[in-house]
Amino acid sequence: MKEKKCNLNLVLYEIRNIGGNFFVHFFGIVFPILMSLILTKAVGSQVPEAIRPEVVTSIVISMSLVCPMAIILIGYPANYSQEVEKGVPLRMRLFGYGEKSVILAKVIAHLVFLTIALGIFGIAEVMLIGIQKPVLSSLLCLIGCLYLLAIILFILSHAIANILKKFGPTFAVTMTLYFLTMLICGMMGVSTEQVPKALQVVADTLPMTYICNDFIDFWQGGSYNFGPLIQSFLFLGALSGILLLFASYKNRRVIG
Amino acid sequence: MLLTIDHLKVQYGKQTALQIESPLVFQEGERIGVIGSNGAGKSTLVKSILGLTDYTGSIRTRLKPEEMAAHMQFNEYVSTMPVKYIMEAMVDTKIKRNKELKELIAFFDFEQCLSKRYTALSGGQKQRFTIIMVMLQNAALTFYDEVTSGLDFETRQKLMEKLGEWYRNKNNTLFIVSHYYEELEQLADKLLILEQGKVVAFGKKEDLFRKFCGNAIFILDNNEDNEKLTRGFSRLKAPGHLIALSCRNPEEEKKLIALLVEYNVNFKRSSSDIEIMSINAKEHFYESQRGGQQS
Repeated sequence: MKEKKCNLNLVLYEIRNIGGNFFVHFFGIVFPILMSLILTKAVGSQVPEAIRPEVVTSIVISMSLVCPMAIILIGYPANYSQEVEKGVPLRMRLFGYGEKSVILAKVIAHLVFLTIALGIFGIAEVMLIGIQKPVLSSLLCLIGCLYLLAIILFILSHAIANILKKFGPTFAVTMTLYFLTMLICGMMGVSTEQVPKALQVVADTLPMTYICNDFIDFWQGGSYNFGPLIQSFLFLGALSGILLLFASYKNRRVIG
Repeated sequence: MLLTIDHLKVQYGKQTALQIESPLVFQEGERIGVIGSNGAGKSTLVKSILGLTDYTGSIRTRLKPEEMAAHMQFNEYVSTMPVKYIMEAMVDTKIKRNKELKELIAFFDFEQCLSKRYTALSGGQKQRFTIIMVMLQNAALTFYDEVTSGLDFETRQKLMEKLGEWYRNKNNTLFIVSHYYEELEQLADKLLILEQGKVVAFGKKEDLFRKFCGNAIFILDNNEDNEKLTRGFSRLKAPGHLIALSCRNPEEEKKLIALLVEYNVNFKRSSSDIEIMSINAKEHFYESQRGGQQS
């Protein structure tokens, strides 16, 4: 038997694994659609008619962040921590799958699932709410940021689950991160300026803040300073990478 | 040489779980049965060889951990999909296209279970699920750690027959950890006896039997009459309800048989009883330890 590489069977297995998780269906697809419906109705009715399309579009952009955050930051660690608790990664290793192959299959599967979720979300938003038509470059920029965020959140979630190794603590930590991020980045109706100063500093280091608050400014064209957004991606990416390295060191395999 | 273990030490906190001082060498194609009480270090040894636990000392092998197959004592899988898909992913094949896998599934009567989720399987079905996949791997070194625990007698027998049949004329090295002596009699050609994390004995079954039990043993009920009757014969350590007598040569055997027949005593003769052999090997081990402490 040779070490197995990431293959179609493994990716299909991981897609089924995500599909069998209730959290991702509810929090990753149903919840952002429901939230955007509720928020656009509630906020949209309180703003002047002239700026309503812009406000509604801004809410939809913010809610699009919920898809990667819910699927990757809540759904993935919920599933994976249970796998770690049951020793499934060990079992897979004993069946010849190296850790890298399994992780690659999980990343691919999650990106496939995220694509499906974003597709459903996009269709639902266009049909049920109606948003301003974006310029192609802005739409591609948003999509690119959502996928990049998904990959970084995957690294973060994987590291947390591998460090804590139990479903309960992992779920508590990731759920807290999820809601805290939503709250301070302006995704729950509270703007970043309204949260305490210390939390504003934290929010400034997260890409969600810029996507949520700034993307509407160039949605239909215009210029934007991407510097802070890129820096925030680099910061979150580096933090997640360090945590993953720590998790790998903690769980290293010793022979000889 | 497939694998050599030398000066291996595994510690869990301050407790030494395993300490192998003299080198243990396993050759290709050997069937090694591992016996020992709970906490003797059997599973720790398996985990050490698989590189799943920290240790000091050396385990030398040309095999990578991924080139070894293992049925661990506890095997768990996800419950988010029917086991059919788990199986196809783990062994990277499609059931309908793999003749060998289909045969294994049929032999273990597992067809009806394929559509169930892992949590919905019974204990025996869960064991069979992993065994099918481990057998299909056809690895150079395969571990079966208490593979039949939780299975009923008939399923155990059937499973052991299948394991024997599957590996007959194959060169795979098997490492079989079991509490059931009859399984090891059936499958193993070498035995490794562990106690309190130390090696009690390692060698061919027949050699160990001769060393600790003699040429043959006679087992009879432990009662006062049998006790008096057999007083002149060499007695071995045995479970409380039995008397085990050792015969070093055929003449001694004949004498004992004649006596037992004359007094109409039921008995069992064996030249391969692993249970009595391992009990006496452990007794020998403890005696030498006591001797070592006194000196």
